Amino acid sequence: MAILAVLAAWWLVTTVGMVSPFILPPPAAVLEAAQRLADGYLGASLATHLEASLSVVLSGYIAAALIGVPLGILMAWIRPLAILFEPLVCLLRPIPPPAWIPLAILWFGIGLTGKTFVVFISAITPCLINAYVAIKEVPPYLISAARSLGASNAALLFQVAIPSGLPMIASGLRIALGTAWATIVAAELVVATAGFGFIIMSGYRNFESAIMAVGMIAVALIGFLMNLIFRKIEKHVIPWGEHE
Amino acid sequence: MLGVSIWIFAWWGIVAAFEVSPDFLPTPWQVAKNLIWLTSNSIGGGTLWVHAGWSLLRFLSGFLLATALGIPLGLLMGHVRLARNLLNPLFELFRNIPPIAWAPFALLWFGASFGSQTFVIFTAAFPPMLINAYQGIRLMDKGLMNAARMLGAGPVTILFRVGLPASIPLVVAGLRIGLANGWLALVGAEIIAGPGALTGLGFLILVGQENLRATLTIGAMAVIGVIGASLDYVVRRLEYLAARCK
Amino acid sequence: MVAAIGGSGSRPMDFNQSVASNSVRYEDVSMLFPGNRGAPPTLAIDRFSLDVAESEFLVIVGPSGCGKSTILAMSGGLATPTTGKVFLGRELITQPGPNKAIVFQNFSLFPWKTVVDNIEFGLRLNHVAAEERRHRIDYYLPVIGLKGFEKHYPRQLSGGMQQRVAIARALVLRPRLLLMDEPFAALDAQNRTVMQEELVRVWSEHKPTVIFVTHSVEEAVFLADRIVVMTRRPGRIKEVIDVRETAGAQHWRARPLDQVMRHNDFQDLRARVWGLIRDEIVIE
Repeated sequence: MAILAVLAAWWLVTTVGMVSPFILPPPAAVLEAAQRLADGYLGASLATHLEASLSVVLSGYIAAALIGVPLGILMAWIRPLAILFEPLVCLLRPIPPPAWIPLAILWFGIGLTGKTFVVFISAITPCLINAYVAIKEVPPYLISAARSLGASNAALLFQVAIPSGLPMIASGLRIALGTAWATIVAAELVVATAGFGFIIMSGYRNFESAIMAVGMIAVALIGFLMNLIFRKIEKHVIPWGEHE
Repeated sequence: MLGVSIWIFAWWGIVAAFEVSPDFLPTPWQVAKNLIWLTSNSIGGGTLWVHAGWSLLRFLSGFLLATALGIPLGLLMGHVRLARNLLNPLFELFRNIPPIAWAPFALLWFGASFGSQTFVIFTAAFPPMLINAYQGIRLMDKGLMNAARMLGAGPVTILFRVGLPASIPLVVAGLRIGLANGWLALVGAEIIAGPGALTGLGFLILVGQENLRATLTIGAMAVIGVIGASLDYVVRRLEYLAARCK
Repeated sequence: MVAAIGGSGSRPMDFNQSVASNSVRYEDVSMLFPGNRGAPPTLAIDRFSLDVAESEFLVIVGPSGCGKSTILAMSGGLATPTTGKVFLGRELITQPGPNKAIVFQNFSLFPWKTVVDNIEFGLRLNHVAAEERRHRIDYYLPVIGLKGFEKHYPRQLSGGMQQRVAIARALVLRPRLLLMDEPFAALDAQNRTVMQEELVRVWSEHKPTVIFVTHSVEEAVFLADRIVVMTRRPGRIKEVIDVRETAGAQHWRARPLDQVMRHNDFQDLRARVWGLIRDEIVIE
């Protein structure tokens, strides 16, 4: 209902001419722009743009997960590691990921390496922190129960602490995926030759607000789908968890 | 503190050992020296104080706007079913867009000005404030509400005398998330708006990058980190006080 | 009525005397908890000495904060006494292990494991062969009434069912000592009665020594061979009551609770134990 009302209002103000199409594109123009994008825009097909954004997101994200989650778990389990790495996390965490974009360009140039680096930086924090807290907050009574059943130290970590923390680790991974996606869009807005952030920015530079709108809708849709797929996997892998 | 100094010395050691160029990775001392120099010398629109001041001002305008709209709207959505049914779908529709993606539209609508940055910060800080205020009412102990009704309180009294105080911890938690999101978006907005704005910490980062001066870029990043952490600390204190009142 | 309190502490342990393999001996056990942030340390348990016979069902009751749970934790090897020693048979208890299984008040089931996996976990940890695991689980599943729920996760079960799983998880290890820390406190009154009766039935199959901690006087009088009444902090033994002397040859727990409750002897003993505890309760 409410969504239909907004669509109607959008159509009305743009078609009657209350707002110039330059400021807010009419729905018809957005559909047409979507068609143009699907046919290929700025010398690249839709698949190329998709690949440009997704490949960077996934490589940076997977690297962050592969390093962040084990490091967080080990920090929670081995005290000296926490003493060593906690200050580094405290130093780097307050710096927002977009602030790394120019430094990444300075260090790695405007290619994919720099963007992967920024995505990695943005995604590792939630991976690491959630894994750390998940293991730190394993209920002590589960540890007691396992010890009374005869669990060794290694069994406590691998068969009690990690499974017990898995729901929280998974939600950290899910948050990190969203952060990684927002970060790649930001990086592409600053500098890129393909990708959805690049599409939005090109629309802005060429005064084509319809292209900008399509770019934003695509970004929202991909973000939504990634979250949805993640939740499906999560539900499958963690059948005991309490899912929203 | 000891751990922090270990990492700073490690950074120093790497730069010294490999004789890294300061334009690529400066020593902590060079970064600090450059920042001190900048407190009395201008780059672009002014000294470090001017840039930090502008960034804070932009941030505060967006953040306060988000607070002023997000919290009342969230409480209303939690308390009044009609508001919930009307606004929830809209909210669900827009919340999948990363706030920074609004930056180009903001530039289109407001120009590379104060207004466009305020708008981007608003879009980043608004959702958590709204969600938490909403949850604060929805997750409230229903027994409290029934007790108030038994004592003869009307819906308005319940909202202000029961719902609002009971939801304060969540609302303050929302403020903290909104603050972090807003500060992140501010930096993003300043960088995406480009160096044309001539002020802001994001501008300093960009100038450092474009002139291949990592010293300036890293210095500005450090200032952003320190301000972000301080803002977070203030709200955490507030959160602690709110929890104690309860 | 009052049984001898064994092991005065100064007397050396004589292993050649009849120390049955599943008996428990507390020798002058004290527990001192260090104070937090400059607060003075708390003496939780003060020189607790007791002998528990093999296959005895011992119930410890006392007011809140009398250290009942601490005694249980020390018996299970989860806590070490500040001074004194706890023995299971001839073995000094220093660490937890499957021969002293614990059933916790909050069930402590592993939420990511199904009913069967929870019960099997301890067996796997102790390298029990697959065939033997299968055999024991097949034996206990019907005993605890959870046939058909093998693949359920704990959160899909009621509190009573969860506690049955926890009891099976402990019993399947064939422990020499079964420690139960207010196992039925989280259940409603009806489930509680049913579970008490079922516990007796399951326990009588192998009769491990049981040390059972509870708040409930009725539960204590119904289940126990002997009841230990504790004083408030610091926890000391106030009195040890031998229920068997009153209950007679056919123990109360062998009959349904609602029948037993009608006996005057039962009610008298209940009143007596409650009187002992009430003196220890301070309203702060």
